Amino acid sequence: MPDVFPISLIFFFGAALLLLLPKGHLRAALLLIVPILAGTMLWNLPAGNLWTATIMGFDLEFMRVDKLSRLFGLIFCVAAFLGNLYAWHVRDTIQQVAALLYAGSAIGAVFAGDLISLFFYWEGTAIASVFLIWARRTEGAYHTGMRYLIVQIASGVILLAGAAVFYGETGSITFEKMTLGSLGTWLIFIAFGIKCAFPLMHNWLQDSYPAATVTGTVVLSAFTTKLAVYALARGFPGTEILIYIGAIMTLFPIFYAVIENDLRRVLAYSLNNQLGFMVVGVGIGTELALNGTAAHAFAHILYKALLFMSVGAVLFRTGTAKGSELGGLYKTMPLTMIFCVIGAASISAFPLFSGFISKSLILSAASHDGYYVVWAILLFASAGVFHHSGIKIPYFAFFAHDSGLRPKEAPTHMLLAMGLTAFLCIAVGVYPIPLYEMLPFEIDYVPYTTTHVITQLQLLFFSALAFAVLMRTGIYPPELKSVNLDSDVVYRWFLPRLIAKIATGVARVWNAKTSFWITRYNNVVRGLYHTHGPEGRMARAWPTGSMVIWLAVLLGISLLINFVS
Amino acid sequence: MSNSPKTNPNDDPSTYPLLGRMMLWTDKKKNVDWIVRGLYAICTALFLADFVYYKKVYLGMEKIPGFYAMYGFFMCAALVICARGMRVFLKRDEEFYAPHDVESEEFPDDQLEKVDYNA
Repeated sequence: MPDVFPISLIFFFGAALLLLLPKGHLRAALLLIVPILAGTMLWNLPAGNLWTATIMGFDLEFMRVDKLSRLFGLIFCVAAFLGNLYAWHVRDTIQQVAALLYAGSAIGAVFAGDLISLFFYWEGTAIASVFLIWARRTEGAYHTGMRYLIVQIASGVILLAGAAVFYGETGSITFEKMTLGSLGTWLIFIAFGIKCAFPLMHNWLQDSYPAATVTGTVVLSAFTTKLAVYALARGFPGTEILIYIGAIMTLFPIFYAVIENDLRRVLAYSLNNQLGFMVVGVGIGTELALNGTAAHAFAHILYKALLFMSVGAVLFRTGTAKGSELGGLYKTMPLTMIFCVIGAASISAFPLFSGFISKSLILSAASHDGYYVVWAILLFASAGVFHHSGIKIPYFAFFAHDSGLRPKEAPTHMLLAMGLTAFLCIAVGVYPIPLYEMLPFEIDYVPYTTTHVITQLQLLFFSALAFAVLMRTGIYPPELKSVNLDSDVVYRWFLPRLIAKIATGVARVWNAKTSFWITRYNNVVRGLYHTHGPEGRMARAWPTGSMVIWLAVLLGISLLINFVS
Repeated sequence: MSNSPKTNPNDDPSTYPLLGRMMLWTDKKKNVDWIVRGLYAICTALFLADFVYYKKVYLGMEKIPGFYAMYGFFMCAALVICARGMRVFLKRDEEFYAPHDVESEEFPDDQLEKVDYNA
């Protein structure tokens, strides 16, 4: 019996045990104990390949522990704990089991040292997480979940195909740094890219996260995309194309976020934008950049969860997360508002908040390595994210025009979860050294310099100034009940209609061809009926006399032939 | 869904949580004007700060006084104006994709705890 076992098993056993417990506080407590247990175990594990198994001739590594995987594993445990605390009130078995299986699969994938076990956990995250969307139990959520599942499963299938081709090319299934070039590596790269919401593969994220349950979205926000970032950091560090992909990812979602009405979708767009920073870091691939990616993923999971929690609390109390229907909630939900502002300050990278000490690592890496245009894009995206996540979310939910809604403050457990997350966001921002020490590489970086603090404050306050000026001049687009077309219009609107048009065309050709042959067939039948039917010539009852005549004629012809021959 | 405060007889600001009551001043336009003036003052101070300390930066453009300030302001203004323009092409009705889409359907009440503060 080995001393160490895959940490994911704690979550899977926890999910099984949960089913045996009665609904209520016991289950909710188990949901908190499992990530604490897993995190404690993980904290104390030594580095190395701690658990391997040989299955059908393949050496599968289920517990590859190093600084990178440990950091992601730990923050996943923290996220699972905070998400489950936030969901203390939930009595839905499906959501509770899904949350555990999802977190367990994500953590299992982080520690997978080979492509086969990575694939299994990869698909595990897809299958478990979709139940957090379906648990909303509405027709819209069902269809959104199906779309989400198809995309996620496709990512897994492409990963499996990539792993198989990669094995054929190299004879290895070890999941380590790869060089993009062969078919196998490209397939694996695309599989990671789908889960990481690369441009044009991104819309599953904005489609599904606002469709999940109040608590489901908080859990969803932590794992899938950051697992993909981890996979990219592990498999493709220093792959230059990622720099440009990441730069585009930081850029286009901020435009959508400005005009989006559903605040949870605004957060999904800003999540996409933040992933872009991490992808740029992976693409640059230097120690500073990879440290930046890891640190930013850590900080991001916390502040993004906090933002989703606060908007979720608003949804929980009012029944809507649409900016057009909210406003003035600070009056009766002041604590939720404060936590939302802390999350907003963190994502905007205000000094003393977590984003400040993580995002700057990536920006510094971009400028140090000569990617000036990318640096300028990242700077723009930093200002943009403050604009929509930092100002828009708190402003339209809690201030702006008074909606007249007077909901009660969020329940205690939600406030506790938000409070803890907010504390971590500030703690990481104020004292980043413990986080820096956990990063994959040695780091010599001082975030709090006069220049950095002042330039960052200039960027943010002048962005706020732009917001204030645009609001007061009426240029800022109002929140409207609407949807905005994104790349999903291709598969949600265009392709179904194209297929319908093609189907109509094919049906028309088929009908024309069928009717042509049916007409011909009918003519033949009619002709046969005409000649052979009851009234037909061939069916007529001929008299005996005429038969004798014809016999005489035939006899005469044969005699004539005999005579002539 | 939204009930105007004017038509809500239960709406009594004196019963709001202490924190909420402490911030009620933000509702008055006069005070919002003061907030904006404060923002102007902070921005001015931050802009001028560039002249009074040694700016340790890597790129030439960063050395321009107020570079980050101008970049933040103009890029954000451009962002909003572009996004507003995008809305002309991208905005659709909430039922554009389907009559029962998550946009247009209500969140199930049994998964919520909608409690009015004054209830």
